Amino acid sequence: MSASPTEFLQGTLEVLILKTLSWGPRHGYGIAQWLEDRTDQALVIEEGSLYPALYRMERKGWIEAEWGTSELGRKAKFYALTPGGRTRLRADTAAWRAFSSAVARVLDPAESN
Amino acid sequence: MSRFQFGRRLRSVWWRPPVETEVDDEMAFHLAMRVRDLVDSGMSEAEARQEALRRLGDPAELRRRLTRLGKARDHSMQRTEWWASLVQDLRQAVRSLRKQPGFTAAAALTLAVGVGATTAIFSVLYSVVLRPLPIPEPDRLVWISRTWEGRPGGTLSVGNYADLLAGQNTLASYTAGYSAPFILGSGEQPESVRGARVTSSFFTVLGVAPALGRVFAAAEDEPGAGSVVVLSHRLWTRRFGADPAVVGQSILLNAVPHIVLGVMPARFDFFENWDELWAPAGFSTRQAADYDGSYLFHVYGRLRPGATAEQTKAAMAPTVARLREQYPDFNSSLEVHVEPLMRAVLNNAVADRIWVLFGAVGLVLLIGCVNVANLLLARGVGRARELAVRAALGAGRGRIIRQLVTENLVLAALAGLLGLGVAHLGIKLILAGAPPNLARLDQAGLDLATATFAVAVAFGSVLLFGVLPAARVAAMGIASALRDGSRAVAGGGEWLRRGLVATEVGLALVLLVGAGLLIRTAIHLGRVDPGFDPGPVLSGRISLPRVGYESWERVTQTYTRISEELAQTPGIEAAALVSQVPMGPGGNTNGLIPEGRPIEGRSAIMARLRLVTPDYFDVMRIPLRSGRAFTDDDRIGTTRVMIVSEGFAREAWPGQDPIGKRVACCEQAPDHGPMWKEVIGVAGDVRTNGPAERAELEYYLPITQTPAGAWEWLGRTMTFVVRGPQAPAALGTAVRSAIATVDPAVPVFQIATMSERLERTGAEARFNTRLLSILGAIGLGLAIGGIYSVIAFFVNRRTRELGVRMALGASAADIRRLVLRQGLGPVVVGIGVGLVGSIALTRLLSGQLRGVSATDPITLAGVTLLLLLVAAAATVLPARRATRIDATVAMREE
Repeated sequence: MSASPTEFLQGTLEVLILKTLSWGPRHGYGIAQWLEDRTDQALVIEEGSLYPALYRMERKGWIEAEWGTSELGRKAKFYALTPGGRTRLRADTAAWRAFSSAVARVLDPAESN
Repeated sequence: MSRFQFGRRLRSVWWRPPVETEVDDEMAFHLAMRVRDLVDSGMSEAEARQEALRRLGDPAELRRRLTRLGKARDHSMQRTEWWASLVQDLRQAVRSLRKQPGFTAAAALTLAVGVGATTAIFSVLYSVVLRPLPIPEPDRLVWISRTWEGRPGGTLSVGNYADLLAGQNTLASYTAGYSAPFILGSGEQPESVRGARVTSSFFTVLGVAPALGRVFAAAEDEPGAGSVVVLSHRLWTRRFGADPAVVGQSILLNAVPHIVLGVMPARFDFFENWDELWAPAGFSTRQAADYDGSYLFHVYGRLRPGATAEQTKAAMAPTVARLREQYPDFNSSLEVHVEPLMRAVLNNAVADRIWVLFGAVGLVLLIGCVNVANLLLARGVGRARELAVRAALGAGRGRIIRQLVTENLVLAALAGLLGLGVAHLGIKLILAGAPPNLARLDQAGLDLATATFAVAVAFGSVLLFGVLPAARVAAMGIASALRDGSRAVAGGGEWLRRGLVATEVGLALVLLVGAGLLIRTAIHLGRVDPGFDPGPVLSGRISLPRVGYESWERVTQTYTRISEELAQTPGIEAAALVSQVPMGPGGNTNGLIPEGRPIEGRSAIMARLRLVTPDYFDVMRIPLRSGRAFTDDDRIGTTRVMIVSEGFAREAWPGQDPIGKRVACCEQAPDHGPMWKEVIGVAGDVRTNGPAERAELEYYLPITQTPAGAWEWLGRTMTFVVRGPQAPAALGTAVRSAIATVDPAVPVFQIATMSERLERTGAEARFNTRLLSILGAIGLGLAIGGIYSVIAFFVNRRTRELGVRMALGASAADIRRLVLRQGLGPVVVGIGVGLVGSIALTRLLSGQLRGVSATDPITLAGVTLLLLLVAAAATVLPARRATRIDATVAMREE
């Protein structure tokens, strides 16, 4: 991976969003909430980056948006994974696993064989 | 599709809610949710609101960013959608065309023939007529010539050139020059090459730089300066094997060594008969003061930016007036004409003929397009159901038209591709069959310009002729197809189809009448008497160099000897020399003043000079109408004599006997008065420019009484004519060796039999006739196809009706008559329209017609009959099928 740090982080955020949406459509706030819950607030999602990431991903065709009614009866924009997004998620997940196990091997040589 | 659905669909593409609203709504929702959660966790409302905003960072900035991203997103989605629907349409179109390979092949091939033929002729038009000459700003070039007998184009003397151009201010540069044969090389292979002596400004005026080396400088254009020469690319390639080392070397020209200074680029070879080398004119002061009869020089100039030819002419008027006063002997009738050079050099007759061909091929293309329109209509009827189903499933009228148009575009692409192939073949055929001397034709080919033209024609014709059927099919298909089956469309399209048949018959008739007229002309020309008997006569040119033949007497003596030598050569029955053979190059025209008319330019009759040895009339079998031929006794010291052509005699002395009349011409008597010559005979008219042209006025002089100066006019060049008992081409070797016994350094060139020369003059016209006939045949073929397909369609669609008629007792003959009437109706209308059209259009051909009028009734009647017969024949097959319809089966259909 020859990505710059911001691109790297952007890619991270994107794969997290894809993963979140793989359980079903969610609005932007819901995505932020879910990510915070899952990571026990360890990962604070920068809201200033979340929405731009969503718009970019929509343009790339990984997710699509539709206006619907939220659990509180308010009009909200729901995002859902497209088939393209699902393919992307699989590829990114595999890449991440390879990456993190490589990093782990370096940091903690005892655990590897 | 209901209007509501349609509207919603449109809005989803074009009228999404504005991105700003979308962003605001989404942010507002986010903030509200955050505030609610924070309040739930124990914050006050105000604190929660502040915290939520803080988490968003800079809300204004975020809003701007999202708006920008959202707009980019919408844009790219629209584009994707557009491409996706185009790809879908294309795929659909290809699928539906493949489902009907017969239709697709017929339509694409018909169009390909039209597009290919049009493109092939266009490439000829483009390379010969439209492509600009490779000269910078050719519009600024002017030709300054002397007006003779009201006709411009005469040459000027050096003195006049110098005076006229001194002090004028409308020309940026100007040049004078004259073409002359040069003898190149020596020994085994001396060759006569057409070259020019020009002033050093020649290359500046034309504005073309040499490809190799340099051109001559002003200092090299002085009398007595070293001998230098610039070669044309053609000569350099042909004679020197394109060897760059030849620049700087010395070559032998007219037996004098010349240094080769440079080589002009290939594109400088504008014309087939363009000069092949250029040497400095080197005008001496004596020449510059020469206002007399040596009018040898062509004068060209380049206008200053913004100046016009008319201004140049006006600027020269005072000088012209002065020259008339100052030199009344030679310039009393001086008139100068200035015209754009390009208008003068481009062969307008050739251009006109090519434009006519282009028009004709346009008609072929139109017939092809009409056929395709017909095919599209018929196909649309067959598809009415399919389209109706699509309409019922929600495709709008616009959508269906769009699909039909997409199909047409695919068809156009296919036809364009095939058309390029046809054009390639067509150009090859044209180049193979073309007359050799059509300037710049060799540049015809499939280049960017012609390929663009082909593609544009293919798409243009399909769009033009495909939209009407598409609109009609879409309308009918949607409105009534489901209800009425396909017959409603069939009935509704009837008038359109018959109109199309009438149109193509009319177009084919115009084409065929044109071809017919040219064929009748060709037949007529085959019967025209050229005025001489080409028989087994071989001709060729001989040129005497200046060196060794300085005196005129010696030139005359040598030619006389050559003529005697030829006459004694075994295998040659009779031999003669002439300054210019009919349909041959070279020659000179003079103004002749019959006795009794005032001695001034205005009384002169222009006539072509034939300087001949006495046997010329025998060899060529040109009949003497009265008087006698020349003999050896007509020489210097005896009465100066001439023979005139019948045409000249009629012009000079209408209704009188010309024998014994006197004519002043060609030279001055020692006392500066006119030199009189006595007419001793009248020769039959000769069509010297070919059977298609009228005979020119001519006069003959014996070589033994050659006028002073004539050898200069004639470039010391004569043409031999020898008559043998056997094939004349075989005499070439004998002629060469006979001439070599007189002087082996004399070049013999441009050898051809008289039959070949006769053949060559008509070559372009014959080629034109052949092309137009081919186009006529293609047009006829396409029209037959059109008539056939419409009748076949009629029979197909009316199977049930015909079955009913037969069931009710109609005989096979009745049915056949019905089908024939159905088919011939539009044909007769088309013939009527075509006859009117051809009477209007064949006028464009009148310049090419000989012995037949543009409205020749025989041609018109013949073509009409041909079309009627062919149309009747095209109905035979469908008619037979109609008579075999089984009534019971037909009734059950549909």
